[in-house]
Amino acid sequence: MKKQIVAMLLAGGQGTRLKELTYAVAKPAIPFGGKYRIIDFPLSNCTNSEIHTVGVLTQYQPHLLHQYIGLGTPWDLDRRNGGVTMLPPYAEADGIKWYDGTANAIHQNMKFLEAHQPEYVLILSGDHIYKMNYMLMLDFHIKHQADATISVIEVPWEEASRFGLMETDEEMQIKRFVEKPADPQTNLASMGVYIFNYQKLKEYLARDAEQEESSHDFGKDIIPAMLENNEKMVAYPYKGYWKDVGTVESLWEANMDLLELDSGLVLHDSAWRIFSSNPQLPPQVVTSTCEIQESFVNEGCIIEGKVRRSVISQDVHIKEGAEIDECVVMAGTVVGSGAKISRAIITPDLRIPANFTLQKKDGEITLLTKETIRNWEGSEDDALSSSN
Amino acid sequence: MRLAAVIDATVTIPGLKELAMYRSSASIPFAGRYRLIDFALSNIVNSDISSVGVFASQQSVSLMDHIGKGKSWDLDRRRNGLYFLPTSQREGDQLSVGSFAALEDHLSFFKKSTQPYVVVTSAFSISQLDYNDMLDAHLASGADITEAVRDGECMKSYILSKELLMEMIKSFRENRVVSVEDIVNLKRKPYTFSQYQYEGYFVLINSMESYFNESMALLNEVTWRQLFLPEKPIYTKVKDEPPTKYMKGSSVKRSLVANGSLLEGQVSDSILSRAVEIGRNSKLENCIIMQKCVIEDNCDLLYVVADKDVRIKAGSVLHGTKEKPVIIRKGSEVSEGEVL
Repeated sequence: MKKQIVAMLLAGGQGTRLKELTYAVAKPAIPFGGKYRIIDFPLSNCTNSEIHTVGVLTQYQPHLLHQYIGLGTPWDLDRRNGGVTMLPPYAEADGIKWYDGTANAIHQNMKFLEAHQPEYVLILSGDHIYKMNYMLMLDFHIKHQADATISVIEVPWEEASRFGLMETDEEMQIKRFVEKPADPQTNLASMGVYIFNYQKLKEYLARDAEQEESSHDFGKDIIPAMLENNEKMVAYPYKGYWKDVGTVESLWEANMDLLELDSGLVLHDSAWRIFSSNPQLPPQVVTSTCEIQESFVNEGCIIEGKVRRSVISQDVHIKEGAEIDECVVMAGTVVGSGAKISRAIITPDLRIPANFTLQKKDGEITLLTKETIRNWEGSEDDALSSSN
Repeated sequence: MRLAAVIDATVTIPGLKELAMYRSSASIPFAGRYRLIDFALSNIVNSDISSVGVFASQQSVSLMDHIGKGKSWDLDRRRNGLYFLPTSQREGDQLSVGSFAALEDHLSFFKKSTQPYVVVTSAFSISQLDYNDMLDAHLASGADITEAVRDGECMKSYILSKELLMEMIKSFRENRVVSVEDIVNLKRKPYTFSQYQYEGYFVLINSMESYFNESMALLNEVTWRQLFLPEKPIYTKVKDEPPTKYMKGSSVKRSLVANGSLLEGQVSDSILSRAVEIGRNSKLENCIIMQKCVIEDNCDLLYVVADKDVRIKAGSVLHGTKEKPVIIRKGSEVSEGEVL
C-alpha cells in the first residue's frame, strides 16, 4: 500500500561508551527515566506525528529489542497496513549480509521500502532523548522543495566540535557538512534525523553501494555526495530538548534533566505522551521512614529510605536507612539498609548489600554494577583482616 | 480448561451510591490504580480461565471503557476470551450475586462455552482466590454448589456445573429464587452444598465504611503484601502515565502512590491515584484522592475521599472523621470547604 512517509529507525548500534549497560542489550533498549527505554522516544514521536509505518533496523543484541517492541501495541503501531516491522540482517543465497554502515542497512532493506512506495523516507536513530513532531519537519521539507532535509539544533559553541555541523545560508540551505571540526564555523548540529525524497535516496544508496571504498554511512558518504552534486539540501531548525545519550555521563545528565523545572524535558505532558511497554505493578509504597525530594519514582517501588534528586525505576526497593543521592536506579534493584550512594547509575536487578558506600560529591558518574559490589566487598574483607 | 467465569457486575451496593453516581459499582476506583472489577478479573486470569462473561447493568459505559476487549488481562483472544454482556437490568435492580434475571439475557454465553464448570463471582469481593484449587475441592466434595468462605465469612464466589446453572436460570421464576447467592443462602433443596476454605487476603466492599477502612488498611505493610503477590499480579487498564514526580519541599509518607502524579505538598496515610496534583503547602492526611484530582496550594484535607477529576481550590479546608469522611463527587470543584 502506498504511503506518504515511512520511518526507518536505526537501532543496531552497540553504544560501547555505555560500557556494561550494553553488554546484554542494544543501546536503544537502555532504560531511561524510570520507566522508558531510549527507543520509546523516537517510536512515540512517530506515533504522535501520525507516522504509522516504521521499520526498526536491528543488529547488535536484538533479542530484547524484538521482544520489547513485539507487534508495536504500546505505540499503537500494531496496524493492518504498515505498523512496525523489525528488520534484522538476513541471509540470502550468497550468505548472511551483516549491516555495514547506516546507509548500507537501509540499502539492504530496499524491498521493505519498495513495498510501501513512499514519497518520503524519515531516517531516525535510537540514541537520542527528544520530543519532536516529524510532520512539521516534513512540511518544511515540502515547502522548501528539498531533496533532503536534515534536522539541526543549536548547540553551545564550546561543545560544537563534538558534533556533525551544518553550514547554511540565510535560507537554511546547507552549504557544507563537517564532522566534528576542531575549529567550528557554526553551532548547528545534525540531530541524526533526515527526510529524503525516496527516489533520490534510492538513487544515492544504489550508487553508494557500488563504491568499494565507501563506509556506507549517511554522514560520511551519502550527505557529502548529495552536496557535491548540488542536490537541494536544507537544514530544519529544531527548537526544544534534544540530547545524545551516548555516554554514562550524558545518560545520567538526561535523567537528571527530568528533575529540573527548566530543562525543557517534560514527560508529564498528555499532549505528547511517551509510550512504553507497561508492566503491571502495584502502586509505589512510601513508608513512614522515607524521605523523598526532587525525584521521579515508578510503580512497584518500595521506598523506606532517603531519596534525593534521583530517578527510580519500577520494582526498586530502597530499604530503611539507605541514602540515594543524584542516582539513576534501574528496575528490580534492592538497596540494602544503611547503604549510601551518590552520583551513580545503578544497573538493573542488583542486590546492594547493607552499608555499601559509594559517595562522590563531584566529578565522574559511576556505573554501579555487580563488579563494583564485588570490589567493595573485597576491600571490606581486606579492611577486616588487616584490623584483625 | 475446565472453568468458565461469570462476573456479575449488575450487583448494586447501596452503601456505595456516592461513588457510583456516574459509574457502575464494579468500576469504583480502589487502591490507587485499580477498579474494583480488576481484582475478580485478575483472579480469573491468574487461575488460567480464558472464557469470561462480564454481565453488566445498563449504566455500564465507564465499565466498558475500563475493560474494553480485555487486552490488559490478556483476554482478547480469538477463541474464548472476554465477553462484555450488557443486560436489561438497571442499576439498583440486583442486590445479590449471580442474578438469574441478568444471566438469562445471555444464555448463549453458556451454550457456546465448552467448559463444564462455571465460577460465579462479583466485583466487590476482593481476594486472591485460586479457582482451580476451588474447583478441585468442589469435585472432591461431590456437592452441587461450592461457595468460598474465609473464617466462616461468605466470599460470594461460587462454583457449579454449567448444566446445573443453566437449569437454575431456566427455572428460577417457578422456584422463587433470584440468584445463585440466594439459593446458597437459603440452602434450597434438592441441591447439595459445600464450602471451600480460603486463607489469605479477603475483603467485601459493601459500604462506604468498608471502602474507606479497607483502603486505609492497605497502608499496613502486612496487608498490602497479602494482596499484592508478585506471582499473582493484579492487572488493570494500561495507562501511559510517567513516573510520579516528588517536587522540592514535598513530604510524602506512609502512602500508596500511583504513577503520573506531581506532588509538592505534605501527604501522609493516604492513597493517591494516577495523575494527581498536590499543590505547595497543602496538607493531606488520611485521604483517598482519585485519578486526575487537583489539590491546589495551601489546602488542608483530613479524612477526605475525592472522586475522579475533583478540583480543590487554593486555601480550602476540609475535615472529615474516620467514621464520616468528606466525600466529594466526581468532577466537582470545591473552594474553601464549600462544594460547588
